[in-house]
Amino acid sequence: MKFPPPLAQKIAFFVLFVMTLFVVLPVLFVMFLIVKNGIGAISWEFLTAMPKQGMRAGGILPAIVGTFYLVAGAILFALPLGLFAAIYLSEYSQDTWLNRAIRLAIINIAGVPSVVFGLFGFALFVSFFKFGASILSGSLTLGIMILPVIITSSREAIDAVPGAFREVSLSLGATKLQTIRHAVLPHALPGILTGTILGIGRAAGETAPILFTVAAFYLPRLPQSIFDQAMALPYHLYVLSTQVPNVDVKIRYGTAFVLLVIVLLMNLIAITIRSHFRSKKKW
Amino acid sequence: MAEFALTTKNLNLYYGRFQALKDVQFSVAEKKITSIIGPSGCGKSTLLRVFNRMNDLVEGVKITGEVNFENRNIYAPDTDLLKLRKKIGMVFQRPNPFPISIFENIVFGLKIHHLYRESKEFLYKFAEESLKSVLLWEDLKDKLNHLATNLSLEQQQKLCIARLLVVKPEVLLMDEPCSALDPISTAKIEELMQELKKNYTIVIVTHNMQQAGRVSDETGYMLLGELIEFGATQTLFTAPRDKRTEDYITGRLG
Ligand SMILES: Nc1ncnc2c1ncn2[C@@H]1O[C@H](COP(=O)(O)OP(=O)(O)OP(=O)(O)O)[C@@H](O)[C@H]1O
Ligand SMILES: [Mg+2]
Repeated sequence: MKFPPPLAQKIAFFVLFVMTLFVVLPVLFVMFLIVKNGIGAISWEFLTAMPKQGMRAGGILPAIVGTFYLVAGAILFALPLGLFAAIYLSEYSQDTWLNRAIRLAIINIAGVPSVVFGLFGFALFVSFFKFGASILSGSLTLGIMILPVIITSSREAIDAVPGAFREVSLSLGATKLQTIRHAVLPHALPGILTGTILGIGRAAGETAPILFTVAAFYLPRLPQSIFDQAMALPYHLYVLSTQVPNVDVKIRYGTAFVLLVIVLLMNLIAITIRSHFRSKKKW
Repeated sequence: MAEFALTTKNLNLYYGRFQALKDVQFSVAEKKITSIIGPSGCGKSTLLRVFNRMNDLVEGVKITGEVNFENRNIYAPDTDLLKLRKKIGMVFQRPNPFPISIFENIVFGLKIHHLYRESKEFLYKFAEESLKSVLLWEDLKDKLNHLATNLSLEQQQKLCIARLLVVKPEVLLMDEPCSALDPISTAKIEELMQELKKNYTIVIVTHNMQQAGRVSDETGYMLLGELIEFGATQTLFTAPRDKRTEDYITGRLG
């Protein structure tokens, strides 16, 4: 069977459109469901109060605070480490087998299931270093999980800085370090930030890495130090959905809604930063 | 005062197996404009980049012979590369200001050489002097915070020269500084070069024989890595000694 070209064009377009729809629809549906069922739960109390009646009422403050601490800790650990690693790999490393192996390892780390990070964090931080189940252990575990995101996006950003910038800087008598500091990093910053924020979004949403390393079922008070356990939004959601009987649907979806908003907000910020700098950059 | 700013002796350069410079021997006179002409790929840029040792960045480069600057061989092992590059600066073929403000571009060299001071007056005065020295002050004095990459190419190239003068070089290496510019802008840059010649030694690589004839005091003609002929610009263009030079300037080659 042969169609005349304009018709074939139309059919192809239609097929591709439907395929795209199949990809997008489930996502939209999930979001719709969460927003529809969750938005009713959102109130000042829900966001700022402790849970009550065995988590069947009250707010989710400790989970929000816990997630905030965990993400902050993960970034504090992973950003400097990832940035320095990226600088080394992009600006200093020669093409030796060792450096190739390192690069390959980083790509592979990104593909490791998050529950494996959880077990690794448990073995290393909780047991071996004896940090116990704590914000410290959880943050470090999440940090390691998002390292590849940060390294990869930082490297891409650094590699995208034109060689001419480095050349000019060196020709003016700058050292290599000054060149990186003044002529490369400022222009790579948007890309680095984007990667970092995407990492934050990922860290905020994961359950498995915090399951064995920090997450508490329920805590009557907010964490006092980095050696305390903490509640966290994704795990709290899991608990509400499977471990506690008779929880109002509204509270469950409300929790999911808050988590969704936080992650989407992070991505939105990343996109904004990127497009802002993209409109300014010209080389 | 030495008469020559730069002198090369038996200079050979290899990119791996390929020999890009063959026994180049000549001197660049102080506070004069010396131009290097020759067909594409003959090694003009390579020669220029020998002087500030930018070729060092290329992998697999090997250089033999001497390049003397201030009575020292700059390829001697104890050369301070940073000091050398501070004294021998480079203007590139494509204007390449950083995509930051005009002002930030100017003070870049200050930051690198630890001369940056927070004082607003100092910085403003400094920007003024720098831009005046490249004849840009009138055009740009109200635009110091504008993005440098939005300027016209001529202004960009002048700004790049200003950025270079900030570190107080003695020699300016210019690699086809006008090849991205239109004739009017080219004339403006040439005018600036005449101005700069009072205080700096200039070596310019150019594809454009008319340009070499207009701006330079001495000219060298290169072919396949060899410096075929070197001498006063007037003489080289009117009475070349070598047949190959004559072929080139009369348009029978390249
Ligand atoms: N990094 C490099 N590695 C290997 N060969 C190179 C390298 N750079 C230049 N060459 C070669 O060295 C020779 C001289 O190059 P160079 O760039 O100095 O020429 P040029 O005279 O400046 O040419 P153009 O007028 O096109 O700018 C050329 O044959 C070129 O292919
Ligand atoms: Mg060239």
